[in-house]
Order: sequence, then C-alpha cells, then structure tokens
Amino acid sequence: MSDEFEPKIALFACNWCTYAALDLAGTSRMKYPPSFRVIKVMCSGRVDPQFILEAFKDGADGVLVAGCHLGDCHYIEGNFKALRRVTLLKRMLDRFGIERERLRLEWISASEAKKFVEVAKEMTEQIKALGPLSPRLEVRA
Amino acid sequence: MMDKPKIAMYWCASCGGCEEATVDIAERILELTNLVDIVFWPIALDFKEEDVENLPDGSITASLINGGIRVTENERMVKLLRAKSKIVVAYGACSAWGGIPGLANLYNKEELVSLAYHEVPSVDNPKNVTPQATTVVDGVKLELPELLPRLLPIDRVISVDYYVPGCPPTADVTWKAIQTLLSGNLPPKGSVIGASEKALCDECPLNETKPDKVLLQDLKRPHQIIPDATKCLLTQGLLCLGPATRGGCGALCVKARMPCTGCFGPLDRVTDYGAKTASFIASIIDFQNQDAIEDLIDKLPDPVGTFYRYTLASSILGGKARDRES
Amino acid sequence: MIQEPRVGVYICHCGMNIAGTINVREVVEYCKRLPHVVDANEYIFMCSAPGQNLIKDSVNRCNLNRVVVAACSPTMHEATFRSSIREAGLNPYLLEMVNIREHSAWVHSHEKRRATEKTKDLLRMAVAKAVLLEPLEDLRVEVQPTALVLGGGAAGIRASLDLAERGYKVRLIEKLPTIGGKAARLGRVAHGDRTGIELLKPLMDSAASNQNILLHVNSELVGLDGSVGYFKARVKRSPRFVNERCTLCDKCVQVCPVEVPNEYEFGLSKRKAIYLPFSGARPHLMAIDPAACNKCGECLKVCEPNAIELDQQGEEAEVVAGAIVLATGYEPYDPPPGEFGYKRSDKVLTLFQLERLLDPAGPTKGELKLNGSRPRSLAFIMCVGSLGTTANAHPYCSRMCCASSLKNMIRIKELYPDTEIYAIYKHIRTYGRHDEKLYEQASANLVKFVIFEKTPSVAVTPDGLIVGVHDATIQEDLAIPVDAVVLAVGMSPTKDLDKVRAVVKVGCSPEGFLREAHPKLRPVEAPADGILLAGSVTSPKNMLESMMAGSASAAKVSALFANGEVHVEPIIAQVTEEFCSGCAICIAMCPYGAISRKKVGEKRVAEVDSALCKACGACVAACPSGAMQQSGFKDTQLMAQIAAISERRGG
Repeated sequence: MSDEFEPKIALFACNWCTYAALDLAGTSRMKYPPSFRVIKVMCSGRVDPQFILEAFKDGADGVLVAGCHLGDCHYIEGNFKALRRVTLLKRMLDRFGIERERLRLEWISASEAKKFVEVAKEMTEQIKALGPLSPRLEVRA
Repeated sequence: MMDKPKIAMYWCASCGGCEEATVDIAERILELTNLVDIVFWPIALDFKEEDVENLPDGSITASLINGGIRVTENERMVKLLRAKSKIVVAYGACSAWGGIPGLANLYNKEELVSLAYHEVPSVDNPKNVTPQATTVVDGVKLELPELLPRLLPIDRVISVDYYVPGCPPTADVTWKAIQTLLSGNLPPKGSVIGASEKALCDECPLNETKPDKVLLQDLKRPHQIIPDATKCLLTQGLLCLGPATRGGCGALCVKARMPCTGCFGPLDRVTDYGAKTASFIASIIDFQNQDAIEDLIDKLPDPVGTFYRYTLASSILGGKARDRES
Repeated sequence: MIQEPRVGVYICHCGMNIAGTINVREVVEYCKRLPHVVDANEYIFMCSAPGQNLIKDSVNRCNLNRVVVAACSPTMHEATFRSSIREAGLNPYLLEMVNIREHSAWVHSHEKRRATEKTKDLLRMAVAKAVLLEPLEDLRVEVQPTALVLGGGAAGIRASLDLAERGYKVRLIEKLPTIGGKAARLGRVAHGDRTGIELLKPLMDSAASNQNILLHVNSELVGLDGSVGYFKARVKRSPRFVNERCTLCDKCVQVCPVEVPNEYEFGLSKRKAIYLPFSGARPHLMAIDPAACNKCGECLKVCEPNAIELDQQGEEAEVVAGAIVLATGYEPYDPPPGEFGYKRSDKVLTLFQLERLLDPAGPTKGELKLNGSRPRSLAFIMCVGSLGTTANAHPYCSRMCCASSLKNMIRIKELYPDTEIYAIYKHIRTYGRHDEKLYEQASANLVKFVIFEKTPSVAVTPDGLIVGVHDATIQEDLAIPVDAVVLAVGMSPTKDLDKVRAVVKVGCSPEGFLREAHPKLRPVEAPADGILLAGSVTSPKNMLESMMAGSASAAKVSALFANGEVHVEPIIAQVTEEFCSGCAICIAMCPYGAISRKKVGEKRVAEVDSALCKACGACVAACPSGAMQQSGFKDTQLMAQIAAISERRGG
C-alpha cells in the first residue's frame, strides 16, 4: 500500500435521495474512490453542525452533506434547513482554519448516480490536494 | 467535635469576576465561614502554597477553582488541589469551558505573544523583548510560567466533579451550589450544580409572548433598536441565545432588555454549544434563497466569537487548526 | 444501557457479489475484536433461510441484544432481517444494517484492499451505533371511517358521493343555506346545452338524499383537534329560521318588506330577507338572512305550514372523522370600484354576472338586457384580476376565463347575431381537447380580437363606454366605443381562507391558495396526513378539474379507510419534558404541524403528535437544548457512529 494520502470523507446521505443514488451507482457498477464513509439520516435536515465538527475531529478530512434537490425534499423543506445550517457553518470554518472546500453541500436525487460519482471523484481529488486534517487539529498540551 | 469541612478557592486565568461573585453572596458569607474552614483563598486570605502542599491528600472537602489553564503555573496548581481535594468544582465559565479567554485559541501562541508584546500600538518595547521561561538577572535565575499552546478548561487537565456555570455565577447559583456540596446528598459526578436543567426560556418572562412560529427575517445588534420589554427579544431580531443556554440566572440580562449571550453554557445533552447555537439560529432564518440567507448572516459580523463566546476552549474543535506544514 | 450490550455481526457474501471484492473473513475477524462484539460470522446468502437461521440461532446461543448485518442495501432486506430477529425474540429495531454491496463491493471492485479497509470502517461505525440502539414499538392509530368534507361545491359534492358510494359515512359541511357552490350559478356550460344547475342537479339531489351523507348547511368548521384516523371537529350551525315543513308556497316572500342585493345573481337583482337561494337549491327550503331580517314577523302571519321559527337557535356539534377534505372553493376576483369602469357604470359587468344574464333561469330570463336595454356592442376585457394586468391583479393565470368568455361570446352571437363583440385579450389559453374549437368558432363568428400588452382602459362617458387599447399587433392606439363591457374576472382565494387555515392548519402558497404536499406527485393532499385538498381551493380550476380533484381526494380517503389503521414509523421525534424549556424553536421547523407547546403548570414544553410526525429530524437538529431527539437517530447514536470513523477513536 502506498504512502499516498487517502482521504476519508464523511458522507451524510439522506435516505430518500442520496442514499438511493449511491445504491444506483452500485447496481450500475460505477466506480469511484473508496473515500466515503456513509452516515445515513432520513433527511438532510437532520444533519446537526455538531456532527460535522465531530466528523472533522474524529478523522474525516472532508464532509459531504447530501440531500434531495431544493423543492423536492421528501419531507417538504428539510433540505432548506440543511442549506441554512451549512451556509452558516462554512463561514465559521474560516475562523477555525479549516478550508471551506472540506465541507460540501450537494443536492443529489435518487436517479443521479452519475452526479454522485462525479462529485465523489472531484471531492476526493480536492481533499487530497488539501492534505489530511486531523493532524492539524491535534494539540500537544 | 467534628472538624468543619475544608474549602479551598483558587483562580487560574481569570478576570477576578468569579472571586467577586463568591463575595456577592453577601451576608451568607458569614454563614459560610461558620460552616466551613477556608484553607486556601489567595485573593482574600494569606495562605501560601506550602500550606496546601502540607495538607494530607484528599483532606480538602471541596476546591472551587475558577479560571482556565493558560500557563504552566495554572496546570501545576490545579493538579496540586486535585490531589488534596475530595471534590473539585469548576466554578464559572472559564474553568468549566475556557470562558472568554478561550477565544485566544483562535490564534497560536506565537501570534498571541507577538500581538501582546510587539504589535499593540500602546506597547513600548524598543528592544523587542519577548517573555522567556527563564532569565538570568544579576546572576539570579528567574522563572516565569510558560504560556501553553492553548487555553484549556480545567477538566482537560484534572478530573472535575461538579460544574457551576456562569460568567460569573450569580450569587443565588453560588449559594445553591455551596448548599448542594455541603448537603451530603451529592448528585452524579460530572453534574452541573446550582443552576437549571433547562434552557433560559423556561424561566424567562417573555417566553409566553412568542408566536407559534419563531422565525428570523432580520438580525439587529443591541445598539440598533430599543427593544420592547414585553416581547421575546429573539422575535425582535436580537440574537438572544437563551434557547441554547442553561437557565438558573433568573434571566437578568433579558429583564434588562439585553439579549442573552450564553454565559451559563450548554445544556447536558449538547456536546458543542457554539455548533448547536449556530444550528438553531440558522434553522429559524426565514429565507429559502441562498443570497437572502447570506445577506442575513452578513449582519452577524463574528459568528464564531458570538456563538462560542464562553465555550470555545471546550468545543469539539477547541480552537483553530494548525496551519498546513508546507 | 441497563444491560451490557452484546453485539452479533453477520456478514453476507452475496455469492461473489461481495466476497469477490471484499475479504469477508478478514472483516469477520476484525469485528470480533471490536468493543461489545461477542459473535461474528459470515454466510453466502444471509437473506436465505439458512442465513436467517444462522442469525436467529446466534441471538439465542450468544444471548445477543444487538445485531449488525452487513450485506446489500437496506431497501432490499432490512425488513427481512428485522423480522428474523423479532422471531428470535429481539425487538426488531435493535438491528443496524450496513450496505457493503452497493456501497463498497460493487463500486470498488478494482481496489480490493481499500474496499476491505472501507468495509471495516463501515462496520466499526455500525457497531458503535448499534451499541446505543433502543427497542422501539410501532405506533398504530385506528381509523374512524367517517369523512368530513368542508365545502358543498362541485369538488365537495363529487368527493362526498364517491365516498358514500364506497359505503363510508360523510359529513358534508356547507356555510351557505344550499350546496351547489359557484358551479350551480353557471349559465350554459361550454360544449353542451345544459346550465350549471342542470348538470349538478342529479348530484345535488343525490348528495342531499344519500343515506351515507349527512348534510350540514349554514355550517362552519370552528375547531379541529386530533390527527389522521381520529379528528375531532367542532361544527357550528347557524340558524336557518325555516324548518322542513316549508312548502315553498312563496307567500312569505311576497310580504317580506326587506330587499337586499341577491348574491346568487352576483348583485344583478334583489332578493328578500326570506328567500330561496335558487331553483334547485338543496335543501329545497326557504332561508332567512339574519343580517337583512328586521324581525317584523309578517312572514309568520302568512305561513300556513308553520315552517318559520324566528327564534331558532344555532348549535355546535362535535364530529369525529378519520379524514378531512377541504373543498371550500374560490371567489371571483372582485375588481376595485373604478377598475375598467367597474361600479362606475351599470353597463360594466363581470363574467359571472354575464353567466346569470344568459341563463334562461336568470334575472332576465336569458335575455342580454342591461337595465332594460340590449347592448349592440360589447367588449370583453380578458385577464381582469389575473396575470398582473392591473396593480391589484394576481400574478397567475386563472385558467377557466378564456374558455368561459369565448363560450359566452359565441352564445351572444347565436342569440343576437347583430351584436359587435370585441375580445380585448393578453393571451388566449384554450387548452385541452375541446376548447380550441371555441376560439375557432369565435373567430369564425367574427368576434374581433384585439391583443394588448399595455393594460387597456375603459372610459365612462355620458355617451357610453370607450375602451382604450394599444393594439400590440398593428402598434396603434384604438378607442372603441361600446354599449357594454364584460370583465373576464379570474379566480381568487376566498377571503375567509385564513379562518379555515387557522382551524385546520394547512399552509398556503405565495398566491394565497392552500398548498398541496407536491404539485405533481401529491396534488390533492395537504402535507399533514389525513387532510385532502379538492378543487379550486388549491388553484384555479374549471368544473371538470374540480370534480376530478374531488374524486381523487375520495380515492385517497378510501385507501386510508380501507386500511383500517394507520402505522406510524417509530423513528419519530420525541421530547424529553424534563429538559425542554418550551423555547418553541422546534415548532417552526415542522412542515406537518406536528409540534405544539403545551402548558405544564406555569411553564411550557413542546409536544409532538406522534400520528403527524413523519420522522425527518429537522426539529432535532434545531433543538437548542438537545431535548428533542429522534428515535433510532439520536444525537448519541449518530455521534457514536461518527466518532468511529477512525480507528483510534472508535476502535
């Protein structure tokens, strides 16, 4: 196994859209980097900013929050809440010295396996270029 | 005759407000001094460090420590008091979560020293000196406590039994906490004592004025409006963090028409106060469009400083990430 | 956790689908070393009978209280494995399933080593969450097979009849003294010979006499509690002052001294304080308008059957229903006085008034007469109140007015071939199978079409009306003198819709209509379960479309009733009252109106209606004190799953 940095990206996937898109990518035998670690939620509106920060602290070099397209949320408007929370959290990440690209919000519907694969490849490359995060979060007392 | 319980009170990186708060219990301090023996209280009594070192381990019934761990001296003292005490109480926001000094964790040590000793306009430092851990002056070695890379709440350094929240804790909260400690009926270790189990809204007189749906269409800084004293401040666009903040203070600030800034810290089931607060504020923004959302957030100049004012050092990230090594 | 967690991990090969890429044995051995895992095993097809038995046996043999299954997508077999462990005596919600086929083996088949490492991570995360899972019970709500239909117009009547036909009981609530709605006041409908009331009569008769339908006229919904399956509605009936003994002999009408504008003729004629709304009204009885009646008692003196009760009281009744159908309709756009000359001249009328004039049963017996004289020239101003034509207008298209106006133009030409007709229009929207013919016919009948972009004007002069319009085709200003102007007014949401919404708690769209759950996928359902939206209450529709919506709502209600009970997924949100400050932040988060604040002593706490909660979790993320949690997706459970992303923390 090479010494090359292999990023870990926490993926908060909503049950109805994004999780289904991941399933479709699987049944279609599409290929994408094995960087993602899925945490299933019923709706992207369940994603608490605490989860995102915890993911960074616990070894995720990137976080992808993905749900249904705006206007199509299975629960009417949960994704709008995700939009607002992630928008605010991104601003806060600047102050924490965490590059904004490490947190990404995407709308991926159940049929958009191809879109997921593109996002997956792109984000993996981006995070690779940014380097690992958790060593920078450790503080030697 | 039973010996009176021994109490110690100590301050680490602190503004002194928590000491004031203790004294704020007013006449009750006479009752206190009848009930307990204060064996160490640098601001008020002339005990020395050796007096503490000479005490048997575990002989202090309770040590109330305020202030966060900023320099090596703080670390040394809290470890000493831990060894000598049955119970250690983190008293006040700084010892519990780092408090306002915890915001320094948004900078690294070098930046802080440079700012304080070289960059601040009012500093006169022609020889560009920087504090050193040891210095020799006239053949004598002088030692200064070293600045730690981050300010830490005391529970990152020693185990803490109870927490008393507040910046500072109010007199009533302090007295309630003391009574709990002396009652013999101790709550589970790690509990917050003296305050409420619920957020501030539970005791706020304006909670019942809220409409069914609380939504934000605008954000106002306190100097921009004269708030209506009969309506919930959050519904008037002021950033009142009451919903996310532990109650017990009697909503003093809100009663004076100032929105709560969160000094009583998080509730038990919240891991990261700043993230939870950001979550609830973002959730109630009444816009669906990205631009409108961003425009509203623009009115909040420093989200990290606002939401983590008292709790940054104890948050999930604890402070700013180190720079990438090139 | 009262008990020590004992986790069993079972990994499926799925033939070669998983095992071809992932080193399953290695993963099994890895799992055995995870905290709280007391058993780990693998099988070639875990969903097969032997596979399921392997799990069941292990549950009993190893005294497991949590199970993790790593296999295909949960959409395939999560239910299967939940049943399996239930059969083994475990609560079915103590299962966590991990997708290592679609999400790992199939997409990383060219990177076997990394796929195996990823699989170990996913399992470590699943075990960390499984340790914190709690037993949950499915919630069941029994459904009351009675429907409450609010609104007795075309949609409401259609829905009621469809439901009654299926054997369900219906309470049809109508605020006027008669059902029929606006459809009953239409003149001859397009593509046929019959008027609105003629078309509706059999339906109205049926609705009034059907054994399964209880008609409440003069009634309004004033309170609603409960949720799908069991709603408790409070219906207030205002007094009619006339009882069933009325024989419609008309003597009371003749002696009544009070006259008021007749709203059933859109103000074209007057009626008395005691009146029959229209011929064909159901119930077929007189009614007294309490706002107009001066209680002089003259009618009492002449009423032989003793049908009049001037001191009749209203009453409130409680109705229990399993579902609510809202079919409260629309109002015609009411132009402000002066808009296109409206109310400044008796020769300016609305489309609805025109319908009444042309109805043989109308105030002029079907003759086009305004104040006794027949207009020889007419201009129809289209899109009045729609498409932003004027400052007061709605931004949307009201859908039915083009067809309706053209139909009327053709009728006028049939009756009075010498009439000049101008159609002053912005767009002509004659959609569907039938309506384009109306446009062709109107053109063939020499109706003059003038297209405008800038809003036209109507000047009221002593010599008559002058329509000013800039013809956008020839780019010229025209001044057209006409005897009468018809305003093709659109459809507005009813003014009292706010009152209805306050009781039923349905959201509204930006245009002011009630908002459906999804405009394409769920057009007749409100977001909250058990509430249906039929007809023009959600958007402008013609009579056919309203009736279709009525039938669609009835079908949805029937499905609900046929099931007999509603299952609620137990992964719903719940408040721990000891930690809830009643801050109310959660209430605005719920699109289903499932959360409210209740008083507990002097304080307030949030309360979740478990029948309404759809388990999205939005309120949980917003709850500033962590008092609101979602079963199966609690903060502690998800944080544990997240913390296990890396070995050093969760391993």
